Amino acid sequence: MAGTLTSKRHVVADDADAVEFCHARGWTDGLPVIPPTPDRVRAMLEAARLDAQHAVTSIAHRAVTITAEKVAINAVLAGCKPEYMPVVLAAVEGIGDPAWGYHGPGTSTGGAAVLVVVNGPIARALDINAGDNLFGPGWRANATIGRAVRLVMRNVCGSRPGTLDRATLGHPGRLSYVIAENETESPWPPLHVERGFRPAQSTVTVMAAEAPHQFYNQLSNTAEGILTTLCDDMRISGNVVGQPPYLVILAGEHTRTMAQDGWTKAQIRQCIFDHTQNSLAHLKQTHRLAGAVQPGDEAQLRPLVESPDDVLVIAAGGSVGAFSAYIPGWGSKRSSQAVTKEVRA
Amino acid sequence: MMELLDPTAEVVPQALSYAPRVGSLQGKRVALVDNTKFNSDRLLQKVGDILKAQHGVAETRVWRKRNAGVPVDESALAEIRTTCDVAIAGIGD
Repeated sequence: MAGTLTSKRHVVADDADAVEFCHARGWTDGLPVIPPTPDRVRAMLEAARLDAQHAVTSIAHRAVTITAEKVAINAVLAGCKPEYMPVVLAAVEGIGDPAWGYHGPGTSTGGAAVLVVVNGPIARALDINAGDNLFGPGWRANATIGRAVRLVMRNVCGSRPGTLDRATLGHPGRLSYVIAENETESPWPPLHVERGFRPAQSTVTVMAAEAPHQFYNQLSNTAEGILTTLCDDMRISGNVVGQPPYLVILAGEHTRTMAQDGWTKAQIRQCIFDHTQNSLAHLKQTHRLAGAVQPGDEAQLRPLVESPDDVLVIAAGGSVGAFSAYIPGWGSKRSSQAVTKEVRA
Repeated sequence: MMELLDPTAEVVPQALSYAPRVGSLQGKRVALVDNTKFNSDRLLQKVGDILKAQHGVAETRVWRKRNAGVPVDESALAEIRTTCDVAIAGIGD
């Protein structure tokens, strides 16, 4: 099934030598890697039932076609189990989609990471964390799937810091930035169903994204109260005049309050859209928008996102603690959109 | 001994050549390609003014990309090819 592996082969003495060899070649993100032996790479391809030369996606502006073999090699390096391979492949397919616009977030000084939200049965099957310490370490699938995607960007697409990756600051999510939606406890339809998939399908949604911004509301027992805090926190965030997409992650306590008050995801999105707008005067006075303040600029409002649908909402995070988070996307929706792809397991 | 597979993309060499240089700018039509970054329009306008005032450029015209992360649209490229002699792509920030 895996077919012929055509990548160049290198001979090393043993495992320890192999790890140092990978570092010396610049193939790693700074952490040790699993040596990509032909047997390990073949196991990845067999788990995905793909031929090595299958073209997963093409990045036109980089003149590069990403083959299943290259994804498999980088998934081995990252420490993935073979059964993670379909998720890695779907995420790589996502960042190759023209709507994601690889050349922008893959290169930009803005330093976006690839945020991957996993939905559907595969998230539970692979134990992709949707709960406690959502963005933190401790889950192999979360830590290695995103790492594999970033290694594909580095090794196959040439997105290396200082050369074709010009991120000024970047952020820790660039090592791995994978979460699942807590579909089991969520009161809402999951993200992939909202985006046109069936509940039984598994998907990844990739979004070029900044780091998570945690907000605190330990006082309200109403949905309105929590969203008031969220909107106040979000209003000036990210590329505030660019109108990128956003992801809002509501954790256990806040989710239960929202559910108790009967709020739907659509109502949450609309509320966020309505209450995160900035006056042109403020944007100009704070040097986010060019030009001098004109008469009428105080009353003229600019929404943070183009439409309520550009705020993706999921339930995830620990069940205890009155915190939730939002994540600004990179740049603007015109430059990069969140893209959802089916995981073909 | 063990074998490792190379995770990097094999480089496929491509033949690329520069467009012929125009020599003098006297009487030439110049395309200014704005990549949408802050002030890129002002920077290019200034460059265009200097080219006209100091180098005899006949006319300049601005094309604006859809966003900074994508190439110039094919339709704009076709227009530039047929209506201009020289193109300048600039950045702002």
